[in-house]
Amino acid sequence: MNSHDITLTVNGRVTKISVEPRKLLVDVLREDLGLTGTHVGCEHGVCGTCTVLLDGRSIRSCICFAVQADGAEIRTVESLASGAQLHPLQDAFWEKQGLQCGYCTPGMLMRSVELIEENPKPTLQDVRDGIAGNLCRCTGYQYICEAVVAAADRMRDGDGHDSGENQRAASTEASTP
Amino acid sequence: MTATSRPAPPPVREHKDNLKWVGKSIRRIEDPKFLRGRGGYIGDLVVANMLHSAVLHSPHAHAVIKSIDTTRAVAAEGVHAVITGRDAAELTDPMPDFGPNPAAHTWRCLAVDKVRYVGEGVVVVVADNRYLAEDALALIDVEYEPLPPVVDPMQALEPGTPLVHDALGSNQAYERSFDFGDVDKDFAEADVIITDHLRWHRSGGQPLETVGAIGDYDVSNGQMVIHCNSLSFTSYLFMVAGTLRIPANKLDMRPVPAGGSFGSKLFATKCAIIAGMCSRVVGRPVSYLEDRYENIANCDHHGSDRIYDVELAVMRDGTIRSIKIDTVDDYGAYIQFGVGHHGNALAQVVGPYTIGSVRYRVRAVLTNKNQQGAYRGFGSEVNNWMLEQLVDKAARELDIDPVDIRRRNYIRRFPYFIPTGNVYDSGNYDAVLDKALALCGYEHWREVQAKARAEGRYLGIGLIAAQERSVFSATEFWFWFDEPTAPVTSMPESVTLNVDATGGITATLYSQAFWGNSPETMVAQLVAEEFDCDPHDVSIVYQGSRNGLPATGPGGSRTTVMLAGAIEGATAKIKAKATRAAAHLLEVDVEDLEWANGGIQVKGAPDARKTLGEIAVLLHLFKHSFPDDIESGLEESKVFDHPYTTMPSADRKDLGVFYPFMGHACHIPVVEVDIESGAVSFLDYTAVHDCGTLVNPRSLAGHILGGTTQGIGTALHEEFVYDDSGQLLSASYLDYLMPTSLEMPEMKIGHHETPSPYTPYGIKGGGEGGRMMAPAAINVAVNDALAPLGVRLTELPMTPERVLAAIRNARAT
Amino acid sequence: MKPPPFRYCAPGTVAQALEELVSHAEEEARVLAGGQSLVPLMNFRLAQPGYLVDLRRIDELARIVLDGDVLSVGAMVRMSAAERSAELNFAAPMLSEALTYVAHPTIRNSGTIGGSIAHADPSAELPAVVLALNAELVVAGPTGRRTIAATDFFTGPFSTALAPDEILCEIRIPHRTGGQSFVEFARTHGSFPLVGVATAIDLVDAEVVHVSIAVAGVAATPVRAEAAERVLLGATPDDITIRAAADAAATALAPSGDIHASSQTRIDMARSYVRRGIELALNRAENGR
Repeated sequence: MNSHDITLTVNGRVTKISVEPRKLLVDVLREDLGLTGTHVGCEHGVCGTCTVLLDGRSIRSCICFAVQADGAEIRTVESLASGAQLHPLQDAFWEKQGLQCGYCTPGMLMRSVELIEENPKPTLQDVRDGIAGNLCRCTGYQYICEAVVAAADRMRDGDGHDSGENQRAASTEASTP
Repeated sequence: MTATSRPAPPPVREHKDNLKWVGKSIRRIEDPKFLRGRGGYIGDLVVANMLHSAVLHSPHAHAVIKSIDTTRAVAAEGVHAVITGRDAAELTDPMPDFGPNPAAHTWRCLAVDKVRYVGEGVVVVVADNRYLAEDALALIDVEYEPLPPVVDPMQALEPGTPLVHDALGSNQAYERSFDFGDVDKDFAEADVIITDHLRWHRSGGQPLETVGAIGDYDVSNGQMVIHCNSLSFTSYLFMVAGTLRIPANKLDMRPVPAGGSFGSKLFATKCAIIAGMCSRVVGRPVSYLEDRYENIANCDHHGSDRIYDVELAVMRDGTIRSIKIDTVDDYGAYIQFGVGHHGNALAQVVGPYTIGSVRYRVRAVLTNKNQQGAYRGFGSEVNNWMLEQLVDKAARELDIDPVDIRRRNYIRRFPYFIPTGNVYDSGNYDAVLDKALALCGYEHWREVQAKARAEGRYLGIGLIAAQERSVFSATEFWFWFDEPTAPVTSMPESVTLNVDATGGITATLYSQAFWGNSPETMVAQLVAEEFDCDPHDVSIVYQGSRNGLPATGPGGSRTTVMLAGAIEGATAKIKAKATRAAAHLLEVDVEDLEWANGGIQVKGAPDARKTLGEIAVLLHLFKHSFPDDIESGLEESKVFDHPYTTMPSADRKDLGVFYPFMGHACHIPVVEVDIESGAVSFLDYTAVHDCGTLVNPRSLAGHILGGTTQGIGTALHEEFVYDDSGQLLSASYLDYLMPTSLEMPEMKIGHHETPSPYTPYGIKGGGEGGRMMAPAAINVAVNDALAPLGVRLTELPMTPERVLAAIRNARAT
Repeated sequence: MKPPPFRYCAPGTVAQALEELVSHAEEEARVLAGGQSLVPLMNFRLAQPGYLVDLRRIDELARIVLDGDVLSVGAMVRMSAAERSAELNFAAPMLSEALTYVAHPTIRNSGTIGGSIAHADPSAELPAVVLALNAELVVAGPTGRRTIAATDFFTGPFSTALAPDEILCEIRIPHRTGGQSFVEFARTHGSFPLVGVATAIDLVDAEVVHVSIAVAGVAATPVRAEAAERVLLGATPDDITIRAAADAAATALAPSGDIHASSQTRIDMARSYVRRGIELALNRAENGR
């Protein structure tokens, strides 16, 4: 069997796995590790749906063989929430309605994590520039941009994961346009 | 049918004020699972012992399949089955087809004997995983004998052109011309006739998630379960069972959330048929999930592809009298939904204007391309674009301000029957226009434009006003025929409400596959409004087709209105039963009770009350506390039928009411055209929509934003390009270009609310949002920008190539 | 859309990588750099190499060194790392600018400088840049290293002077003062440009003493706009000269058309973008960047 033993640290968990060289990282995450939050969109590196962080930097996991990630640290959307607490980005996407069908959302969130790590105080235009590599067919991007800016504000304010009452957010009326 | 013989409209409703939840932009109920990456899409679903499949596609636009040799593929590692088109035709019947003459343009899940477009499925392989399935595809030897391709729709109509379907004897699948009103008289009396030739090329929804299904057949009892991300047209799923040759009562289609549709997952049954067929063959569950190439080339859901020759009869003061529309629509190789797209256009063919008569001729052409399906607007967005180009041209030729010509022709009395017989239930077009002009800063932008022109820059302002029909009805699919084979009229939607022993409410939906809209949020807000509870406390269940109540599913911007009707009906039944129970418990007459604040109380004595939870626990657990005729439990269902459909007249001079809840919008993009590169960029974009009463304003705004983005794609970037040999040149996202965040302007969204008199709360649909308007508005804006050069674009998308070619042509003449 | 099977190795040195290429030549061994072009092609099964030699572990290929007047960029330097490099931005600002146009940041996190150059897409940015900068490409093969001038490197669409058993190791870029620019037109942000223009201009007392202009997207390889360079060299350019140079560049072109732009449109765009590129480079030359 043409396979390679690789080690991936995924969301902090060290995993040793034997893979065929041709197996795409996105398929290893989804099929072998059960992390189906990372989605397959175009499989040729254009849409950004499969975006994950590899050693802190966003990559397209649909055009990366898992063997290329051997030894790397990978973060996926499943790493964001802490139990019941959503990550500030997730909470802001919810509040601002930065998603409709949800399919681009994990990739968009992971790119946004990188964006805020690089630029903790992004403007709306910074976000517009920064997410241009991730297609969204539903939202027109506007509420995504608003959400990323809002999340960055909260994260700078040291709110960390304390993003309010996630469980009873019904009373938190999202801002109307 | 004459105006006097029209059936009476439904009763006008009194709408409540002081709503608690309807009208609030609450956080969407759907979102938490998606934010966590736990959406549970079809690709996430694993059924025990599941196998995977892949389809071999035709590399030819038009060819005879001489032979298929699957020997090597059958022997390949991990392969469980190899099924050719001929095999499939032994296993299944033709696909569900609403076309004009399905027997003469037979559509099957895999091609048999002949391929009719690049990308058409030829063979399916079932294997342990998708990698191995694709490996096996490479080992299949197909011998083709290429035939001359039929690509150009006008050429396709010429005698002597090769035939896409020999049995049809022609490439014209359908032709009809309707006259509504006295078109000849109106044209004879007109001062000016404005003519135009327009071309709208095909684009498509391209959701980021493709279509997929898992078929799971149990040979021991003949039951077929299909998990699928298309569950619309639930009432028609018996047709899927028919194709699979299983009894309809042994098919259970189960919905999974769809990662976007935009129409393109509407009754998208091919994956379900293939997965179901494969499962039957191998005796194990089989997944068939399109890849991106298939979703572009073989999705059966390309959008409209039309050529228009149109004439507008206008008076010198700008009054529009009549319109003649002659359109050729390139449907591709099959025509699954017939010309329903043109029925859709006829619902609002005169736009917001008092145009007195209409001639509409359509020719549906078959060519060697992937077939049309549904794409946000379903053909009426194309009509909006055509009409607004004509109105804009009329304003220019008559030297009337674009705002003035629209105001001169606005419909102002409602309900208003347009010449085709459809009704516009309500509207206030002046108010929408006023709001849009103010929000845009229209006068300011006209000044900016004047200054820019003086500097040699090309700025344009694209004011348009157009309709967004909502809540579709079935007649648009068959009023084309004098003797339709299936003149169905049922378009119901159903909801079951259950109040459990603790007072918790669960709503069951029967056709509502989530696909990016907000059915859970809508239902939760409406239930919360009815029951004075918190919408986030309402539980929502999606029921598959098994044990389903009659339902039609999303499409034609119908979901919220239809669900609201079903919830209203089910709520009334729940409250009636609860009231009877409360009357017994409080020892008063039913007439003395009223619903208030989440319970039932004695009128004038609010201390004498029972909460819904108190009543529910007794109804569930204490049967003998009640009279004999009160059954245990508290659950009620409502099958809500379309609230306003009337039949077409026998002579088709009047098509009846089929799309009555009429939304309206005004879009004003401000663009700059770089005349050296042909690039169009946005300086500003205003959109004001009136979709009646809003349930969740921000989610509606989201549809406007997203729809406008797709409209920008249609106007400027997106096109499925087939070359002269029928090869699909835009078969990847490197060539099928969609708007990124940087192609989108920061939009200014405004809402106006003119409640429908005929729907619960006055809600109208708004799901197709900005795509109904943006192509028209952007084309008008580009033409406004280029007017000083004498350039007028008449073809979408307005790619740099088309813009520069038009400028070169203008300079050459 | 899954890639065909192949075998794989990730050697730690160039020598080992070369050995792998030679010993697996019969399997159509290919070098894997960032994979941002190769892997999509494999997913479409348009490329089916039987053996991939991944260069990601070879540290010596991932360095950026400014040594005197020569900037050395390792072939495996990720584009995003190059964008952040102060040395690179100082010595070859055109390259920094061009990188911002290459697809999107996420692609540039994986994509490498050498990978893009060796892929030799005629529309791509970096081949035009190395052509305009008169870069030298250092190549290792079984018989040792050789240096190929950028002008000799690109031999056709997606083809180069690299032999199948050779590896592109290093891009050596002469440091120039003066003004540099990279401009391009793409239909949407991040999509492949229809035309891209790389321009370097040195001025002495407002006179052009050096000019090199390379254009992407208008021929089988990136091409130098020599006719435009001739107009500018020795001139003190004004608006008329610049337009004459752009016209001269456009007149010399005979691009083929595709679904995004006809031949004539590409010529018209090249005229416009050569002008914009010259204006920008001149402006920077005049203002010391």
